[in-house]
Parts: sequence; structure tokens; C-alpha cells
Amino acid sequence: MTGYILKRLVSAIPVLFGISIIVFVIMAMIPGDPATAILGSYATPDNVEKLNRDLGLDKPMVQRYFIWLGNMLQGDFGRSFSLNRAVLDEVLDRFGATLVLAGTAFVLCSLLGVAAGVVSAARQYGLADKAITFAVLLGISIPSFFLGMMMILIFAVKLRWFPVSGMWPIYGARDLSALISHLTLPALALAVVATGVIARLSRSAMLEVLRQDFIRTARAKGVHERSVVWRHALRAAMVSIIPVLGVQAGFVLSGAVYIEMVFQWPGVGRMLVDAILKRDILLVQGGVVFVAACYVMFNIAVDVAQSLLDPRIKT
Amino acid sequence: MKNFLMLLARNRLALGGLVVMGLVVLLALVTPLLPLADPDVTDTANRFKRPFSEGALLGTDHLGRDLLSRLLWGTRLSLAVGFAAAIIAATLGAAIGIIAGYYGGRTDNIIMRGVDMLMAFPYILLALAIVAALGPGLMNALIAVAAVNIPFFARNIRGITVGIAHKEFVDAARLSGMTDARIILTEVLPNVIPVIVIAMSTTIGWMILETAGLSFLGLGSQPPQADLGSMLGEARSALITNPHTSIVPGAMILIIVMAINLLGDGVRDALDPRLKSGALSRPMPATMVQRAGPVPTSEGDTLLALRGLKTQFHVEDRVYKAVGGVDLQVNPGECLGVIGESGSGKSVTALSIMGLVASPPGVITGGAVHYKGEDLIGAPYEKLRSLRGDRIAYIFQDPLATLHPLYTVGDQLIEAVRAHHLFDRKKARAHAIELLTSVRIPNAEQRVDSYPHEMSGGMRQRVGIAMALANDPEVIIADEPTTALDVTVQAQILSLLDDLRRERGLAIIFITHDFGVVAQLCDRVAVMYAGRIVEEGPTKTILDAPAHPYTARLMACVPELGQGRRELAAIPGLPPVVDRLPEGCAFADRCHKAGDTCRQGNIELVRHGAESLVRCVAPETPPQEAC
Repeated sequence: MTGYILKRLVSAIPVLFGISIIVFVIMAMIPGDPATAILGSYATPDNVEKLNRDLGLDKPMVQRYFIWLGNMLQGDFGRSFSLNRAVLDEVLDRFGATLVLAGTAFVLCSLLGVAAGVVSAARQYGLADKAITFAVLLGISIPSFFLGMMMILIFAVKLRWFPVSGMWPIYGARDLSALISHLTLPALALAVVATGVIARLSRSAMLEVLRQDFIRTARAKGVHERSVVWRHALRAAMVSIIPVLGVQAGFVLSGAVYIEMVFQWPGVGRMLVDAILKRDILLVQGGVVFVAACYVMFNIAVDVAQSLLDPRIKT
Repeated sequence: MKNFLMLLARNRLALGGLVVMGLVVLLALVTPLLPLADPDVTDTANRFKRPFSEGALLGTDHLGRDLLSRLLWGTRLSLAVGFAAAIIAATLGAAIGIIAGYYGGRTDNIIMRGVDMLMAFPYILLALAIVAALGPGLMNALIAVAAVNIPFFARNIRGITVGIAHKEFVDAARLSGMTDARIILTEVLPNVIPVIVIAMSTTIGWMILETAGLSFLGLGSQPPQADLGSMLGEARSALITNPHTSIVPGAMILIIVMAINLLGDGVRDALDPRLKSGALSRPMPATMVQRAGPVPTSEGDTLLALRGLKTQFHVEDRVYKAVGGVDLQVNPGECLGVIGESGSGKSVTALSIMGLVASPPGVITGGAVHYKGEDLIGAPYEKLRSLRGDRIAYIFQDPLATLHPLYTVGDQLIEAVRAHHLFDRKKARAHAIELLTSVRIPNAEQRVDSYPHEMSGGMRQRVGIAMALANDPEVIIADEPTTALDVTVQAQILSLLDDLRRERGLAIIFITHDFGVVAQLCDRVAVMYAGRIVEEGPTKTILDAPAHPYTARLMACVPELGQGRRELAAIPGLPPVVDRLPEGCAFADRCHKAGDTCRQGNIELVRHGAESLVRCVAPETPPQEAC
């Protein structure tokens, strides 16, 4: 198992390399002179030249890439000019908040989505199945940012069950209960779309499995139907559900940007949008590389989980 | 194409989606012609007017602009951007996919590596990076959304192209000297276009949503121009005081995306034949029972008796009579063989006993199964479950498919025991090892922790038998348990079953198509054809002198060792389709001695000799009084 994990980690190296190249190339597409873009059109030529030198923009592309990469590997992601702070420090601070939000949403959508899919398949064409199918259709069609706004309107403004926005109360203790009450609405809003997608795929994966011969064997053994569905069928269906969870994790992680905007959540997504609007290129670059790298690592964890679940995968 | 449209029309939800989408597109097209207020003219005196107020059907926004007008113009813009992004992504993605798939080799390798790298990004993050580089703006948002969707198209289209690039017609075109470019355009492209269209229909909703999302973040369309996303973004600050300015554009996005999703699902369903035929329906815990007519009552104290059992498959408006009134019985220590060609209904008969016929489409429509005088057909589920695997156990064909691939054989045996007994895990495990030993699996202590895929076919079949024996049942129903095995393993399994029968007094119903197996193991044999028993009697009597022409022909198909060069006779024709059974004898059309009497009325199963029954008006042998 350790060997398998190591092997997967090694295979991630070229992917991470590729990600850094793609981000670098995209950022190199910036039209015109980045220094002018950063400093604005009123900048003096002296200032522009100094900034170009500071950013290393006077050097050839390839050299610039390797300098950037080498610095990153040493933990130096550059300095954000709009915040006047090291990019990595800012990204790490913000990423914690995103991780809380996206992580909760991911757990929610995995549990709810799989459960809904299983119930839907087990009661195919029944009332529960129809209700779930309709809810799923609504869930995958509603823009998460619109859903978030409607949730604020109903549950925060009208019913006053939850705070309107933010991660912590402005006054008062920053304890778990405060976090949970601030987290509930954004996490739900973020989870809805992924829940729908996961429920759909879980339903069809379950239907596929429930027709298999080994399910008939379980029934012939006299295993209770509850156990046939939740133990035998779900375990086999998880083999095709888990890769979907991996893909959806990417949607949840990056979709957090909308929810962070709606709920004023101090996460990395809002940081990126602010940085884009302020043309803070280094902050965008660092943030994107960091989040993408974390996602690659998460996918390795998904593969490892898959190999633990399915003994037929050679580890 | 017409067929496809009809299927689509039959799907009411998809039709609804199509109608709604058609209306939205129509509205967007005619927007410039409608007598609307200018969407960009501000009128701060009339800001935040409520919907249905005078002069503004949907009210006004924070700058007093008419919301209805802005909504329609915004819809127009959002749809245009979404469609444009979809077309760009589809075109470029398809081009990349076709080139990778057509040329293969190193070109393919390099391109697909790049595509994989792009797909390693969380979707929206990549779009953000592109907008960051190009700067905010609707055109740049469009480019970003199109770009992040290119890998999806490239990967799908490449898969299809790889298949096509190796087809004969492409090889023929190459040999005729056509250039690669021409082959791609005239031979490959026409075959991938349907796939491109399907991929577009399922992703266009996403693209509309994503461009709206970027606009919502302020990275897409810039004021005063507004698509639905930026309308929503601008309305956010007034969400609490004037929610209607948010609800109007938000609901529109929801309607559009939902209509597209419904339509996309309809397109996919219409093109996926598996969903049409209802094949993807899940079997229920027990076979459906809809018995018409009187239920046969139990007579005598037979261990297990089938009386007039009828099982059908209802597929759409067709009725397949898989089992058409079968009587069988078995007593302790007895082995009954049920023999027939595939499709003769023997497996369905076996599965009907414990309600294991997949349902839908299976329905038990008549007869009874008496276990110790108690009818199992229509028994409550809990009653059936408590007997399944405990008193009446099954052994199935092909143990690789019938054992759960992800649990160890030990866990599966333990579960079989614990479904009926309150054993703790340790005791159940010890029992599992005992069971594996009893079916002569060497190293049972180690083997108990193996997964099915780690065992050989013969081993797996032994596990299947051990599982059937787990609760010391009275009846074992073995459905072709040796068909998937080679001959030496088959012989071992048969002698194992025979020993168990003698040691434990098991009653066995043995389903097979192999007369050799019947001769080796069974006391009595029943021959099935087209869902009915055509002959039944002691094995020796039937093997020595088959009375039904079908039995005789079936036995003539079996090669015998040491019999010299005897010509193997195949039975001419095919068994009848069981949704259109002919009147009279179902075998008449393939029988060399069929006459007019064979093709009318119902031919009864009648006594023939001392212990046999036959369903034939002209049996091969005279009825012997003493055998």
C-alpha cells in the first residue's frame, strides 16, 4: 500500500509540472506590458522599467519560468502588490477558510448525494424516486450563486435562523457553534449542484449493480433486503461512484468562488476575484497554482481510497 | 431521425423542455422588435419599482431601468454567449480530438497529455486564470468558458475517432490515395457529428451557467451592457431591500438551464437503447405474483412440490410464457434432474421457487410451490427470506459473477450463516472454515480470506456449494453448477454433491442440459421444452428408452465415447419463441413424426409405463406395464 501511494505521488510530479507550465503560459498571454497594467497608464517610464526588472520581466520566457518555478519550490510565491504581503502567506490564510467551506460542502454532497441515489434506485419509479429525481433536476439547474442569495433571503433575513454572511461573528466568541451557524447556509448552497450530480450517477450505478448476479446470490442466501441494498449493492456501486466524487470535489473547490462572493466568506476564491479585478497577477498566479496542486493531491487520495475499496486493483 | 424525434416526443418532460427553450429563444430573437423601454436608460426617480407597477411589468432596478427590458436583452446576450462558447468549444475540441484520434501514436500521446493536464485543474479555476490574463470582459469570459470546455470535447471525440480510424472504409479511402485532410473531412467528420451534437446538448446548459457566473463575479459583461449573470451581480447589494431585482434574472437562468437539461436528458435517453427497453430497471426483492384462477392445494407430505407453476415475462406489451404450468416434486435424499435446451424455462422454474426471478419483467401468474405443505408463492417477503438459504438453498452457474467481487469468500459465508443464526463473528468464521473444508478446499484457514477473483473456477464453485450448505438446508436447487467448469473439475463437483446428498439426506433439484451429468447424479429426470415438461420418469428408464421424440432427439445430440463414428444429429429448427406458442405440441414443427393431431388442443402429460409421464400423442416407445 505504501508502495502504491508513493507510486501515485511520483506520477503526480509531471502533472504538477504541467499545471505550472499552463498557468505560466496563460499569464504570459497578458496583452501589452504587465508593468503598465499593474501600475496603470499614468506610470512613469522609470517606474515601469523598475517594476519590470523586479518582476524579472526583462528576461527571456523560459528563463523566467524556471526562476518562478525555483522560487515557488522554495516557498517564495512572490509578493502581492495590492496587499503588500507575501503571496503564499495570503493564500495559506485564505485557503483555510475555503477548505472549511468546500470540505463541509463536499462531505454534505457525498453523503446526501449517495444516499439519495441509493434510495432512488431502491425505490425505482416509486414516489421517493420521483421526488428525488425532480429535486435533483432542480438542484443541477439552479445557479449556486442565485440559490445562495435566495437562502440568505429566506433563512437569514426572513426566518433569522442563520447569520447573513461572513465566517465569524463581528462581536462574540469565535467558537465552533458560531462557525457552524455561519457555515450552514454557504455549505448547503455550495453542496446542492454536486449533490444532484452525485445522486444521478449513484442512482444509475446502483441500478446497474442491482441487476447483477451476485445480488441475486445475496437474496438467495436470505440476506435482508436492507442489507442487499446498502451492503452488497452500494459497496459494488461505490467503485464507480468514487471517481465521480473526485471530479465533483474539483467543482466544489472551484465553485466555492461564487459562494464566497455571495456570503462574504474570506476564502481563496474571493481573494482571486479581487486580485483579478486589481490586476494583481502574482497573487492570481500563486493562488491558482496552489489550489490546483492541492486538487491533484486530493485526487491521489481518491485513487488510494479506490484501491482500498476494490481488492481487484493491483496496488 | 424521424424515429429519434418520435422517441423524444414521447418523453413528456423533454418535450416540455423543448417548448420552454423554444419560447425563450423566440423571445430572445424578437426582443429588438418588441416595444420595450431602453434597457440602459437610467431613471433614478423611479428606482426599485415593484413588479406589476405601472409602466414596468417586472419593476425597475437600482438605477430605475426597466427590468423586463433588461431581462429580455440580458437573456439574448446570455444565450448568444452560451451558444457561441458551446460552438467554439465543440469546434476546437472536435478538431483536436479528431487529429489526436486519427493520427494516433506520438501526436495522440502529446495532445492527450496536454488535455489531461488541463483536466487536472478544477474547472472554474482555469476559467478564472484565463480571465485574469485577458482581463475582465464578456468576450474574454466567453473565451475562458469555451477554453475550459475544449478538453471535454477533445477527449470524447478522440475516443470515437480512434474507433472510426480503424474501420474498413477509412482504410479503403487511404488506399485509394485520398489525402488525410480529405479523409478526415469526408469520412471521419460525418460520423462524429452526432456525437458532437450530443456532447453539446449536454454541456450548453453548463456553459450558459458558467458565463453567467463569471459575469456575476464582475468578470464578464461590463456595465451598462448586462447579461443575466451581471444583472444578478448588480442586484446583490439590494438583495435584502429589493429582492425582486435578484429574483427576476435568477429565475430566468434557472428556467433556461432546466429546460436545456430536460431536453438534453431526453436526447440522451432517446439515443440510449438500454433506457428505452426498460432494461435498466431494478429487480425487486421477490418476484411479483399475480395469480389468476384457483391456487392448487397441497396433497401428501412431499418435501417440495411445484403444482402448475406459471411464470411469465411482461416486456412492454409482449408476454413471454417462460414457464407454462410445471409440476415437479422432490423428497429427502432424492435428486431430480431438470434437463432442456437453453431457453426451455428450466432456470426460470428453479428461480421461481424462491421468488428470485428478476421482476420486473418476471411475474408468477399461476400455480403453487408447496414446501412441507405450505405455499411459497405469494408468501410474505419475510417468510420467503427466512427460508431462502436456510431451508432451501441455491447453487448458481458461473461463480465469478454470482459471488460478490469485493468481499472475501469468508465474509460471504459468514453472512450466509448470520442471516439465519445468531452466531458471533468468531463462531461464524470457524463455521465458514469448516464449510470450506467440507467442500474439500485445501488450506481452508487461508482460503477463507481470499477474494473470489483470487480463486480458480472450480474453487469458486466449491465456495458456492459451501455457501449453499451453510445452514444445513433440506433442499438444494443447483442451476447448471458445472456448466462453466472443465470436465475433471466437473466430475469432482458432481461426486461432492452426490456424497453430500447421501451423507445429509439432501433433496437436490439439478438443472442442466447435460445428459451425462443426469446419468451420474439423478434418480429421476424431467425434460423441459418451451416452458413445459414433456417427459418425466426414472433416469434409467428415460435414458434407456426415451418416450418423447424431443428427448430422443436431444439424446442423439450427445456424443458418446467408444461408440465409434456415429453421426451426431442436430435437431432441425429452433425452439419456438415463448410469446407466440403454437397450439398443440410446441415441438411439432421440429418433430419428424408430427401429424395433424399434434397441432390442436392441449396435449396432456399422461402416465406412460409404471413410473413415467409423457406429453406426446405418438410416443417413441410403447407404454411398458412393468419396467
